[in-house]
Amino acid sequence: MSPPLEPKVDEQLREIGRADLLVGIPSYNNARTIGHVARAAAAGLAKHFPEHRAVIVNSDGGSTDGTPELVASVESAAPRAILVRHPLSVVHKIVTPYHGVPGKGSAFRTIFAIAQRLGVRACAVVDSDLRSITPGWIELLLGPVLHEDFDYVAPLYLRHKYDGTITNSIVYPLTRALYGREVRQPIGGDFGFSGRLAAHYLKRPVWDSDVARFGIDIWMTTTALADDFRVCEAFLGAKIHDSKDPGADLAAMFVQVVSSVFDLMHVYRERWESVTGASKVPLFGFPHGVGLEPVAVDVERMQRIFRQAASDLREVWEAALLPEDLAAVTALADVEPLWVPDPLWVRVVYGFAAAYEHARLPREQLLRSLVPLYLGRTASFVLETASCGAEDVERRIHALAEEYVVQKPHLRERWRSQ
Amino acid sequence: MWNDVLADVIQETLAGFRQELSAFGPRLLAMAVILIVGFVVAGLLRFVLRIALRRLGFDRFAERAGLAHALGKVGFAGHASGALAAGTAFLVLAFFVLLALGSLDLQLARDLVSQAFSYLPQVMVAGALLALGAVFAGFVRRGVLIAAVNAGLPSARLLAGFAQSALLILFGAMALEHLGVGWQIILVSFTILFGGVVFALALAFGLAGRELARELLERLARKGEPPREDPLRHL
Repeated sequence: MSPPLEPKVDEQLREIGRADLLVGIPSYNNARTIGHVARAAAAGLAKHFPEHRAVIVNSDGGSTDGTPELVASVESAAPRAILVRHPLSVVHKIVTPYHGVPGKGSAFRTIFAIAQRLGVRACAVVDSDLRSITPGWIELLLGPVLHEDFDYVAPLYLRHKYDGTITNSIVYPLTRALYGREVRQPIGGDFGFSGRLAAHYLKRPVWDSDVARFGIDIWMTTTALADDFRVCEAFLGAKIHDSKDPGADLAAMFVQVVSSVFDLMHVYRERWESVTGASKVPLFGFPHGVGLEPVAVDVERMQRIFRQAASDLREVWEAALLPEDLAAVTALADVEPLWVPDPLWVRVVYGFAAAYEHARLPREQLLRSLVPLYLGRTASFVLETASCGAEDVERRIHALAEEYVVQKPHLRERWRSQ
Repeated sequence: MWNDVLADVIQETLAGFRQELSAFGPRLLAMAVILIVGFVVAGLLRFVLRIALRRLGFDRFAERAGLAHALGKVGFAGHASGALAAGTAFLVLAFFVLLALGSLDLQLARDLVSQAFSYLPQVMVAGALLALGAVFAGFVRRGVLIAAVNAGLPSARLLAGFAQSALLILFGAMALEHLGVGWQIILVSFTILFGGVVFALALAFGLAGRELARELLERLARKGEPPREDPLRHL
């Protein structure tokens, strides 16, 4: 069901009538960066799609730093220096607050609703804290939908080897093993999708769940994969954000993302149970190397938390892990330096997925108890790949993803056993 | 002559006993029958409940709610379904015992049965309070334990145990208050016990947990400052 739109937005939509393309920018206090993002979007639309009617939508969560005003003040026409042709129509701008559960998902819902009202053919959503976005991103996210009839364009970024550790150790390999398609950044944050898929998203009754918060990215990707929409990837280069909210709680973020993955496993059980193996999806763009910002990691703290959990959280982990896996995990506390082997880590994730499905403990507590294991695995990965280059690390992550595929029968077995 | 007197006395005694027995015997028999029926019903109920609760997944619920852990703490090693079945069977048996006593039609038994029945609702509410307290305390204990471990606090178990004990004491005091067992004694005991626990913890914290105390105080002092950023991007 579509969310209610502001009367002012309703009037704007009537004036615009129809549009071909839409770029959505969800925001909350992003005044430092959103001007750059909106200018890149406007320039990308004007440069790469001059013959199409286009709209930029800023869906804001109640910013108090002037974010919506900044978007409203951005010139729709791109600077002449980057244009090849003059655009035939202006890029419209809609700046609106969203309603519902505070979070990125609710912001997207408003964007989907506007896309449906305007009958757009292709949409893209980009994060408002991006520093590395260029007009080329808009072409790469919208082009495959507009010209090649794809329904969903997932981003492919170059990231530092320690960047995106939840993605690398859980979300990417698990999604790949479950649905059999290789989408390297399933929670990348910047996506392209068709109007058809936006309408499909709107129909789903998920807008009061964690999907409305951090879970939206994995939900969009999984829905596109599991409901058999045409999916591809676009290489966008490096992803550099503004410094993130320092107060963000890792455990809360972890729970929202992982619970979304596990909830989707429940929804698409019949779909993933029959899938074996995994294959690549088509890639658009031109992969190239870029310099990446270094990432400092406090491995000592991660190991300390893991080791403490190995003695203190045994009684909680018992609900999720088989006795032999629990013994193996707790034995790791004495290993110096810490090393969590791939097969054991995969069994841990599958064990928690099954325990979550069968609600062996209150679900939030169960997932929060997985955080120290994740930190242990991350510390192990950092120590193991300290001297490796980006390609070696990518091979290492691919090997982990294959382990998830190999052990999928174990997941099926755990899932079925009460 | 003495023989006649003795024979009369014995005859009178026997006659009296026969009379008493004919009056009291059926009641005694009824009591025995009620007790036997009570044992059978309680046994059957325990058996049926244990199986039904297991099939309904009560043990998993008890595990989730922390009830199993609380039962383990008080020394019950079996399944939660077994404990509930046994508890229910005991209550049913107690009911039959009261009925049996009532069947004797003695003043003492009548008073006992009447008092027991008037006290039963309070006992049941107190039992429910204790069960609820055990479940809630178990849930809170696990939540505190996980949060403390994730925050890297070295005394996570101590904190979790304290949270659980405080809640168990609180619910125990509420249950006893509901039973009306010496309210003044309970209040004094609760105050002494609670104060003692807090004092012991303060000593333990100050002596054994100096590092933790320092870390917590440093955290509190840093609260006004902008938080340090975690350099790792997890998503």
